[in-house]
Amino acid sequence: MNAFQYASAHSPDEAVTLAGKNGLYLGGGIDLLNLMKDYIQTPDMLVDVKKVSIVAPDGAGHHLPATITVAEIAAHPDLKKAFPGLSEAAGEVGSPQIRNVATLAGNLLQHSRCWYYRQPDIVCLKRGGDMCHAQEGENKYHSLFTGCSCVSPVVSNLSVILTALDAQVVVKRGGKQQTMTMAELYHEAWVNPAAHHSLDPQDFLLGVTVPGKRMRSAYRQQSEKREFDWALVSCAAAGNVTGGVITDARVALGAVAPVPYVVDEANQFLEGKALTEENVSQAADIILKDAKPLEHNGYKVPLAKTLIRRTLLALNT
Amino acid sequence: MAWPNPSQYLGKPATRLDGAAKVTGAAKYSYDVQPDGWLYGMILRSKLPAAKVTKIDLTKAQAMPGVKAVILAEGEQRTVRYYGQELAAVAATTKQQCLDALRAIEVTAEPLPFVVKEDDAMQPDAPSAVGGPPEPVPPAAPGTSPPSAPPEPESPNISKANVKGAAQADVDAAMASAAVVCEAELRTPVQLHHPLETHGSTVSVSGGQVTAWASTQGIFSVRDGLAGSLGVPQSNVRVICDYMGGGFGAKFGPGVHGGLAAKLSQAAGAPVKVMLTRFDQGLAVGNRPSSIQKIKFAAGADGKLIAADVENHGSPGISGGGKSAGGGGGATINTPYPIYKFPIFCAKQYGVVMNTGPSSAFRAPGHPPASYGTESMIDELAVKLGMDPLEFRLLNDTDPIRQREYAAGREKFGWNAKYKKPGTSPGPVKTGIGCAGATWGGGGRGTQAEAQINPDGTVEVRCGTQDLGTGSRTVVAIVAGEAFGIEPHQITVRIGDTNLPYSGGSGGSSTSASVSPAVWDACQKALAQLQLQSGVADARGANWSGACQKLGTTPLSAHGEWQEGYSSGGAGGVNFAEVEVDTETGYVRVKKIVSANDCGLIVNPLTTTSQINGGILCGMGYALYEERIMDRHTGMLLNTSFDSYKITGMSDCPEIEVILIDMPERGVIGIGEPAVIPSAGAIANAVANAIGVRVHNLPITPAKVLAALGKVPNMPNV
Amino acid sequence: MNSKPSPNATAVDRRTFLKGLGTSAVVVASAQAKAAADEIDKAAGPGPQGPGAVPVTLTINGEKKDFSLEPRVTLLDALRNYGPLTGTKEVCDRATCGACSVLVDGKLIYSCTKLAIDAQGHEITTIEGLAKDGKLTPVQEAFIECDALMCGFCTPGFVLATTALLAENPKPSEEQVRHACSGNICRCGTYPHILKAALKASGQAVTETTTVMTYGVA
Repeated sequence: MNAFQYASAHSPDEAVTLAGKNGLYLGGGIDLLNLMKDYIQTPDMLVDVKKVSIVAPDGAGHHLPATITVAEIAAHPDLKKAFPGLSEAAGEVGSPQIRNVATLAGNLLQHSRCWYYRQPDIVCLKRGGDMCHAQEGENKYHSLFTGCSCVSPVVSNLSVILTALDAQVVVKRGGKQQTMTMAELYHEAWVNPAAHHSLDPQDFLLGVTVPGKRMRSAYRQQSEKREFDWALVSCAAAGNVTGGVITDARVALGAVAPVPYVVDEANQFLEGKALTEENVSQAADIILKDAKPLEHNGYKVPLAKTLIRRTLLALNT
Repeated sequence: MAWPNPSQYLGKPATRLDGAAKVTGAAKYSYDVQPDGWLYGMILRSKLPAAKVTKIDLTKAQAMPGVKAVILAEGEQRTVRYYGQELAAVAATTKQQCLDALRAIEVTAEPLPFVVKEDDAMQPDAPSAVGGPPEPVPPAAPGTSPPSAPPEPESPNISKANVKGAAQADVDAAMASAAVVCEAELRTPVQLHHPLETHGSTVSVSGGQVTAWASTQGIFSVRDGLAGSLGVPQSNVRVICDYMGGGFGAKFGPGVHGGLAAKLSQAAGAPVKVMLTRFDQGLAVGNRPSSIQKIKFAAGADGKLIAADVENHGSPGISGGGKSAGGGGGATINTPYPIYKFPIFCAKQYGVVMNTGPSSAFRAPGHPPASYGTESMIDELAVKLGMDPLEFRLLNDTDPIRQREYAAGREKFGWNAKYKKPGTSPGPVKTGIGCAGATWGGGGRGTQAEAQINPDGTVEVRCGTQDLGTGSRTVVAIVAGEAFGIEPHQITVRIGDTNLPYSGGSGGSSTSASVSPAVWDACQKALAQLQLQSGVADARGANWSGACQKLGTTPLSAHGEWQEGYSSGGAGGVNFAEVEVDTETGYVRVKKIVSANDCGLIVNPLTTTSQINGGILCGMGYALYEERIMDRHTGMLLNTSFDSYKITGMSDCPEIEVILIDMPERGVIGIGEPAVIPSAGAIANAVANAIGVRVHNLPITPAKVLAALGKVPNMPNV
Repeated sequence: MNSKPSPNATAVDRRTFLKGLGTSAVVVASAQAKAAADEIDKAAGPGPQGPGAVPVTLTINGEKKDFSLEPRVTLLDALRNYGPLTGTKEVCDRATCGACSVLVDGKLIYSCTKLAIDAQGHEITTIEGLAKDGKLTPVQEAFIECDALMCGFCTPGFVLATTALLAENPKPSEEQVRHACSGNICRCGTYPHILKAALKASGQAVTETTTVMTYGVA
């Protein structure tokens, strides 16, 4: 790693001040420290934010502070009851060692896992170079959908389920607190190849508020290995189900686009429909209709279809 | 064989002598050794896959804090031929200082054309990876070359053919009249060893004396290599390897890194530790060559094999790696796999050179890819004939020991009840079973050992062998314990030091067969002397301490050597695999493996089981997860750590049952490699049996399963 | 809570913090929240440290050890090269393999991805800290008995992962053992025996899965 200063902040404002122009926030450090070892990020200051006190916002919903660990999310009995999909998604993040230290904010804001991005000797488009090497290269793990010329997909499990749950993100920006949707949190990555999300380095993600509106939620992913492996595709679904009929449906896909991928038309299609094989398959087709497979990732289409069907059907139970 | 039968300790499960050291963290590996004043060393590697280097400017690095030495790997003006090739090295007080200094070295180089994919390298208009004609594949053994040679290869990167067997015309004729013919192209990737302890050593060069703590499978190979490159007498070089964190075939000789550690030590005047990073480990210290196998097998209506025509293009990277390999690092594979006797066959093999790191021996070199290819097509023949694949094998693999293993294994596995015709398992999640067999040499010789008996009854056995995790340290103790009638755990075993009596490198599954007879000989000689000096006719067991006391103040020691009559060669086994394939996601779950194995006299069934488990799991990784991925446009390695170079994990591990066929009459043989050979073939056959269609290249990922099932429009069946 | 608010901190109230999670959740506070609350009691800490070496005090296996380290030194590096406690292994240095696992306040983490300076004020347990006065723990004994080790390089990590599991779940199922050890990799193939060792150490039955047969029997 490059040499840097280390400081500990006790409040979001202090963190922002200490970080200055070239500092970054240190939570669990799983992504940040390993990027730094490869000199892909080279901050001159690390501000430890694990002890930052975060005041929960007013209003309804379940407020998760940015510094809550993935392990805490996975184990929390009340979260498990209210949002089973969130618990499932958290339980699949990395390994026990990672879950014990990884924070909610760190998981949401983690950088692309594209091997071109992370190869220290390649400066890809996302790192300011000329081209996206994955487009014509080794792209079996890459996106089916994108709004720009970077095809690396979002890999945060929590981003996918929180999108399905229509969570709100609370951010301190320029001294003021503001709220944004999950889509807004990631939108920049859809349009700007250099971006992993929409936050600037100085923005401080305070937490996430999950509305209690949807009583059912589920998360499914498929990886090459059984555990401790990145999802090839992941899917989260949430809604209300009575007598096998779904309302307020929201479905999101992970690892297929730079953002948690949502197709509103599919959610609208599902409104008031019975959760049958036929209906969930149709919803899957709607979600995948604009898929543009690259040379090696076409398998993600049938895989995504399977996961969408299974995740939606899981809401029945 | 001359081993005692019945025996007291031979063949009984024994826990490892070094168990406590390993579970407490007390065991010191090369990575852990810290001689006084030691420095960290790191290597600067080429960032280009092929280049003409004109300048390597070390001046900025030399001036950096903590830096004690900066050296060139070879000259400054040179050609590099693969991403990761060594250019320079730095020694500094801390690891971070090394890293900072490496970044300050400035390399001026002109890129050259390169190829890093087999398909690219084999094109007629491909650039030459070596900038000249490739190394030829070794010629066929005398007397086996066919009357007609195959055509000259078209690409500059393909070597001349190595041909074995009958003339093409004769093979073609036999095929034409056969009842069934099956033909396919099957591929295996480059597999990386990735031992948990990376390659490396700590070397101290001081006053003409060299001490190296090397992570190695062959301490004497390191000694001789360093003596040669430093120009010092072999007797001035001592290599120590008390514990090492895995080798799997690649850790022989000092390696470029060992040579650099020595030169850094000379330059810095202090011991220097060069341990590769995980990133480096995937680039330059060996790999299992890839294979592209065109296989055509023919059989009669009676299920008997008739003919085989196989062609393999394998890539050993930039070279065969022969100089740094123990036993065959080239791209030739044992095809058609020799457990099946084809009345007539022809095998043509080519090496494909590429701008990637040189290959080296990797656990049963040449066997796992050949086994996968052959066993896949054996199953295809059986299926085409409507025969049970196990019955087909019993008809064609007549080896009596494997017949015994198939019989024992099928019962434990429940083959008969589980077997269904391919793809007939109901529902989207389909189960399937498969099997495959293995044969291996093993055997060994040449080891020397010493046994010392002390008046207080303690015993020390000394032998310059290595324990890679195989349990050889404990094998020594068991043999000595047997000789003296005392508990193996009461024996002090000293290994891993070139100051000890010579033993060969631990490769080829030869250690137990080399070491056991030598230790036995030394102990028998020591015992005879003890009985003579003490006047106790039989000093073993209960009489031991009394007899030793009679030694007074003088310990006795005896030198022993490997003797005939205690070991032999020829190990083997069979694997049965049961898998579950989710045809909607492509995910393969290996549910159960039953493995029946023989290796002569089984010295320690506990550690033998561990070796077999290890072989199964390594072969499972080869079947389902592992693949080195190079980027065709930049020539760089893409999967540089364990999240993208995937090896079998704890959660992937299936239920495993092991059958050991103990054959004491054959003496000690060795099991390390046969254990890995049939694993991938059995799993691949199980997957094909489950889904009714075959994936023709490893690793069998969910993507490929979905493609094979016709679910991926732009990915034809692979 | 009898806190003296530090000038730099905004007031924190554990209850409002976890508002909305239900009454039972109030008791189960985020560990981070507790840390935040505790920190308020302390005066504002020292300003930014480094980039050069600064004093770092680590509590390792119950003993306080003083170091002088740059902030960029990882806990793994500190243990191995400054400790020197070499039982914790460097294998990937990228949080992918578990060989560097240690316990921090009883929780299993990757020491390669933890800054030493950030590990201050916590109880660090390494492999060297398990056996007391040379007496091996039940997990360590079981690893030896079941041959759950081969080259041994992954062993410290697995012993700690198993130890952490049994501390939280004294009678785990095989699936739970796999899950708890899923962050640790072995190349030699010890997984089946690690499963046995974990079950054995927890006092549960283990089935023998190796059969030795002679050749002659049909």
